[in-house]
Amino acid sequence: MNLKNISTSVPKKDHKGKVSGQLPYISDVKVENMVYGVLYRSPIAYGKIISIQLPTLPEGYEAVGAEHIPGPNYVKIIKEDQPIFANEWVNYIGEPILMLTGKDLDILYSLLNEVKVEFEEHQAIYTLDEAIKQKSVSSVLANYEFGESLENISAIEQGAHQIIEEEYDTGYQEHVYLEPQGMLAVYKDDEIIVQGSMQCLYYIKNALLSALACGDDEVRVVQSPTGGGFGGKEDYPSMMACHVAVAARAVKKSVMLVFDRSEDMLVTTKRHPAKLKYRTALDKEGNILSMCVDIFLDGGANVGLSSVVLQRALINSAGVYKIPHFHAKGYVLKTNTVPNGAFRGFGAPQSFAGIESHIGHLSKLAKIDPLEYKRKYLVKQGDPTITKGKFRDPILVEEMIEDVLNVSEYKKKKEDFQRLNQQNQRYKKGIGTSLFLHGCGFTGSGERDHIKATVKLVKSKDDQVSLKISNSDMGQGILTTLCKIVAKELDLPFEDILYPYPDTKEVPDSGPTVASRTTMIVGKLLERAAKKLKNQWQTGVEQEIVEHYVHREMIPWDEKTFTGDAYPAYSWGVNIVEVEVDTLTGNIKLEKVYGNYEVGKVIDERIMKGQIDGGLAQGLAYGYLEKMTSKQGRIQQKSISDYGPPTSLDVVSIESKVFDNPYADGPYGAKGAGELTLIGGAPAVQAAIEDALQTSFQQIPITPEVIIESLWMKEGEEG
Amino acid sequence: MVEKITAYRFERLDETLSQLNREDCAIIAGGTDVMVLHKSRRGVPPKIPKPIVFINHLSELKQVYQHHKDLHIGACCTYSELLENPLIPFALKNAIKTIAAPAIRNRGTLGGNICNASPAGDMLPLLYVYNAKLLLRSVNGNRMVTISDFIQGPRRVQRFHNEIVTEIILPSVLEDSHVVFEKVGNRNADSIAKVSFAGSIRISKDRIDDIRFAFGAVGPTIVRSVDIEKKLVGKTIPLDGADIAAIGSAFDKIIRPIDDQRSTAAYRKTVALHLLRYFLSMKQYQPN
Ligand SMILES: Cc1cc2nc3c(=O)[nH]c(=O)nc-3n(C[C@H](O)[C@H](O)[C@H](O)COP(=O)(O)OP(=O)(O)OC[C@H]3O[C@@H](n4cnc5c(N)ncnc54)[C@H](O)[C@@H]3O)c2cc1C
Repeated sequence: MNLKNISTSVPKKDHKGKVSGQLPYISDVKVENMVYGVLYRSPIAYGKIISIQLPTLPEGYEAVGAEHIPGPNYVKIIKEDQPIFANEWVNYIGEPILMLTGKDLDILYSLLNEVKVEFEEHQAIYTLDEAIKQKSVSSVLANYEFGESLENISAIEQGAHQIIEEEYDTGYQEHVYLEPQGMLAVYKDDEIIVQGSMQCLYYIKNALLSALACGDDEVRVVQSPTGGGFGGKEDYPSMMACHVAVAARAVKKSVMLVFDRSEDMLVTTKRHPAKLKYRTALDKEGNILSMCVDIFLDGGANVGLSSVVLQRALINSAGVYKIPHFHAKGYVLKTNTVPNGAFRGFGAPQSFAGIESHIGHLSKLAKIDPLEYKRKYLVKQGDPTITKGKFRDPILVEEMIEDVLNVSEYKKKKEDFQRLNQQNQRYKKGIGTSLFLHGCGFTGSGERDHIKATVKLVKSKDDQVSLKISNSDMGQGILTTLCKIVAKELDLPFEDILYPYPDTKEVPDSGPTVASRTTMIVGKLLERAAKKLKNQWQTGVEQEIVEHYVHREMIPWDEKTFTGDAYPAYSWGVNIVEVEVDTLTGNIKLEKVYGNYEVGKVIDERIMKGQIDGGLAQGLAYGYLEKMTSKQGRIQQKSISDYGPPTSLDVVSIESKVFDNPYADGPYGAKGAGELTLIGGAPAVQAAIEDALQTSFQQIPITPEVIIESLWMKEGEEG
Repeated sequence: MVEKITAYRFERLDETLSQLNREDCAIIAGGTDVMVLHKSRRGVPPKIPKPIVFINHLSELKQVYQHHKDLHIGACCTYSELLENPLIPFALKNAIKTIAAPAIRNRGTLGGNICNASPAGDMLPLLYVYNAKLLLRSVNGNRMVTISDFIQGPRRVQRFHNEIVTEIILPSVLEDSHVVFEKVGNRNADSIAKVSFAGSIRISKDRIDDIRFAFGAVGPTIVRSVDIEKKLVGKTIPLDGADIAAIGSAFDKIIRPIDDQRSTAAYRKTVALHLLRYFLSMKQYQPN
């Protein structure tokens, strides 16, 4: 198929393998001389390990622990605070202490029950609120502060008509990728090959080089077909890779570690629960004079990627608005709970939920329709960002709003619903909006200074072109979209371009598959490489083209002062959501969902629709449906049905449109699209619920329990 | 390691009953509760401690028929089969549609829901309201028990190990009654009830002739109180506020739900009473 218009959909590269069920995921793989690994995990939230007593192990069964790690005992991510096998202190329930290996899982499970570890238990911190109360040097894992000076703000507040303070809480979110985490280390005399479900091959390779203290050619990382990631397979797989690789080295066999759903839900990273505090000075008409935002993220037991998540949360703390005299600070605090990590949106969903809620509440004070109020503050091209960067490119949000207002008949519905709600005592309808953006790619100069992406195109003698990059298709469709870009540049049929599952032995480091960077950054490098290849094309000759990242001219990012251009480009979105709330049960029914997006240029319409529908389902659910709680350091929901992600009966059809606004530094103008689509769901659903019930909420998820309690309080007030 | 399990699958009910008489077995109908209950961790098959007897293919257990005024439902009818059967009352079908999702409804059976005796079993509130009776059979003959006597607590039923529940009997299916079932779950499919409510009411000449309610997932078994129901018989419709309040506070005293990973005790109780009051405040009731 030759592509005329890059946006026209093609069958996905992995379509047949997936729909036929033939594609082997890691848990389907069996290799010679393979044993299983199972982990003994800490049963307590915080304490010191006094002694470990192993049962007598039958032949072929072995124990692997910290003493078997050739390198330092931490998972290399950013800071050195996450042990591979905890051997001195344990910091959360479920922290791995040792692994048992052997052929039969049944025997391994019963051996696990006989492992005896003695602890000296210490007082744990279980919740973010406790951590905020006790905030001490050791519990602050990261912090940043920036914006207008507090003296100036204080002066403004003195003269203000009113100061509004709000506190907003967001909960856990679990990724619920279809395929639970799994990793296999294939043992060879001179090499360990780690393969599994993953987003970031070189993160894993670097973690392995450190843990195994070995040479570059002694470890290899290969991605296997990956059934969903959502950020859950960004940082966490590095730890599992260390487990299986260390074990394979120790027992000289191949070692497979696969979680079932409940283990996965109990111990893997989740979205950071957050508390956001707003303090806003208003004039008589309800106009914003200044705003201070404090963000607290529950990091869990170790920092992992939390500092970077906090950066994104802070950079997005003013939403899509130009707020005069803005100040923000944020902290990641340690608790003795499961470490929190990367999750689609990476700190932004918390911030957008918070700011959209706060601005919505301010609009009520000003007695102006929320959307109208929001539009007064909408950023425009050329405006500064809150970090003294600049919105360089055209912004189409006004057009997108106008369009979705028409399509949804927003104004008419608002009136209709008011009338209907007066007639219907039980069911109340509401409509709400959200405006949002997503900064594409790594924060600041991350792409230039840390990632330094390199891509390679290889042409064989028979003129077959293959992509050599380290990025993972985890269902989002890059096997297809990136091949389309190269095919179009080379003017070759899409089917002729190959993109084998990446293997670090074959591919350069084109960076991790995160941060909505892959299409925009890696895609652009591939586009350039393909252009070059086309110019140099010699039929029947082996050729290789390598391209390196080039940084867009921007205001340099300074992490210390938290100033500069935080991102090279932004994608934008507008959502409108209609709900019906059952006031007897607090249950919420989604009635209609609209989304308008601007992602530069769509590389494949159907894949983009997949991102929109999936992202919205996940984002809406974050606002009202998915509920995860931790009690005394223990996650309470260990099955999908208890956690409650949406089923096909919970999601309604989503009417969406994507606006063209080509971006010069993206392939064919494309920017990031993967995370954006999640971000507007929760704030729009909250606004719709508030509209239906004519009340305000200070948290997500707004579960039926929250609604019933709020209605009960309201009843009390109204006597 | 290959494990040996004993499983029986007889052609006829009498052979099955003889085997059950000889040996204490685990009965599997659709298996949708049994398999979950005995689930092992990943990679290890479920461990069922007794020999297994399959019963869901037995035609004797799959009949649905009207006898005099009673509706007889074979214990091994699956939900999907019941949904298609014209004899099954509308309200019961509505309740069935709230159960799981099509795949589980293709396997799960009415008998299994009863014998599993979960307080969140979605068939149970209506069956209590219908005054359902169960026909149990063993080599010694037949025995009839009411559903409320049969179910003793979570996963505890009054069944001898040589017995099978063969039929569920709905006496004179509330023909002239208005019957409702409301399930409150965390989402619209594949969810376990956080609280559920079933109610029926029969009116003649503006007066309540017969009224019943049952609550699910708010205690160890379904909550129903014939004494409270009696207080309303003879009252005129619409009920006045004081009557509704009195019934509400009577149930307030006997509904004692718990906090768990799915919801809170406060929510369950509040919503149970909301649904009750809503049912009692209706201006008119139509037989359905
Ligand atoms: C994903 C999923 C979702 C579910 N959703 C719901 C839901 O929404 N609502 C709900 O109520 N339930 C739900 N369930 C539970 C289950 O499907 C139902 O309870 C179903 O009715 C059980 O029927 P079964 O035939 O599969 O029972 P089985 O598992 O075969 O048996 C259950 C118990 O009853 C005994 N038994 C079965 N039949 C007889 C008989 N005739 N005589 C004597 N003993 C018998 C068995 O020995 C066992 O103890 C769900 C289960 C799953 C796996």
